[in-house]
Amino acid sequence: MDITFFSFIIVCALFILVIESVRRGILETRDSIIWIFTCVLLGILSLSRGLLEFLADLLNIVYAPSLLFLFGLLSIIVMIFDLTKRISKLNNKVFVLTQEFALLKEEYQKQASNQRNKQT
Amino acid sequence: MAIKVPKTLIIVPAYNEEVSIASTLNSLIKLKRNIKSLEICVVNDGSIDKTADIVASFDVVLLNLPMNLGIGGAVQTGYKYAYNHGYEIAVQFDADGQHNPNDFLELIKPIIKNEEDMVVGSRFLQKTSYRGSKTRRIGIYYFYLILKLLTNKSFTDPTSGYRAINRRVIRLFAHNYPKDYPEPEVLMHLNRKNMRIREVTANMAARQGGESSITFWKSVYYMGKVTLSILMQSIVKE
Repeated sequence: MDITFFSFIIVCALFILVIESVRRGILETRDSIIWIFTCVLLGILSLSRGLLEFLADLLNIVYAPSLLFLFGLLSIIVMIFDLTKRISKLNNKVFVLTQEFALLKEEYQKQASNQRNKQT
Repeated sequence: MAIKVPKTLIIVPAYNEEVSIASTLNSLIKLKRNIKSLEICVVNDGSIDKTADIVASFDVVLLNLPMNLGIGGAVQTGYKYAYNHGYEIAVQFDADGQHNPNDFLELIKPIIKNEEDMVVGSRFLQKTSYRGSKTRRIGIYYFYLILKLLTNKSFTDPTSGYRAINRRVIRLFAHNYPKDYPEPEVLMHLNRKNMRIREVTANMAARQGGESSITFWKSVYYMGKVTLSILMQSIVKE
């Protein structure tokens, strides 16, 4: 078994995992797009020897399958950047929620104590 | 008193300040007795000690953040409160007893007269009794130099947290305020918005209770982060 076929099997397993996760609602469809795209790209490259060697030639890569790793690495970098971006965004949202919560709670307690004062 | 003070909010961000918060609030309440339009608002930044209980026994507004957001997020909560309740002036005041209520009027005077948008209490404008550690003062001088380079203006005490702002800036801060270590960055931001900033002399004591939380690595991170955010602030898209 050579490396390209081995990569293909791994990519297939990953693809099934992604689709299954979406089906079960663990992964949101929106978030699965980049994964599906990566799987398809790597799948095509690892199967078609000709295309892989052609691209490797263009980039002066002696050992063609290492191009597979390059693509894998690049998509991981893109994904991690996307994740960091999303964490920042979530962080901002948590900040706003926390602040609004504190402000509302203060308002609520003020009203509650006003009402108590009225009753007595 | 010669001048009439408009509706003013003093914002006191507090994180685990059970040692010093009571004396700080006592001194502020003394100030409030003289100035009727003053309100005090403590933002408890998710403290895990008795800070919230102590503050609750005072006649002040208490905003309890359910988790720790850091100084920027805590102060911004106070600015949001000020914005929602129509305050004309907001003053940030440290809970650890560093700041002196006697400087308060000098701080808000230029804003009442509508001469400035923000007034910063500075330890270094004139010689005061302030004695901080050497490394701290080198750090402050470093930010002074960066800001001087980028804005061509002298902010002698860019890390001072004793600041007063008017309604325009309250509105700005309620919508957008940097998260951690915000002080120097804010100066850059406001300068870019063409806000008028002035420094007045303020006396500050070395911190009263507890140890400073800034360790060596933290201060390295602090310098790096603030430098980056100041530089970013000069190219940021509005």
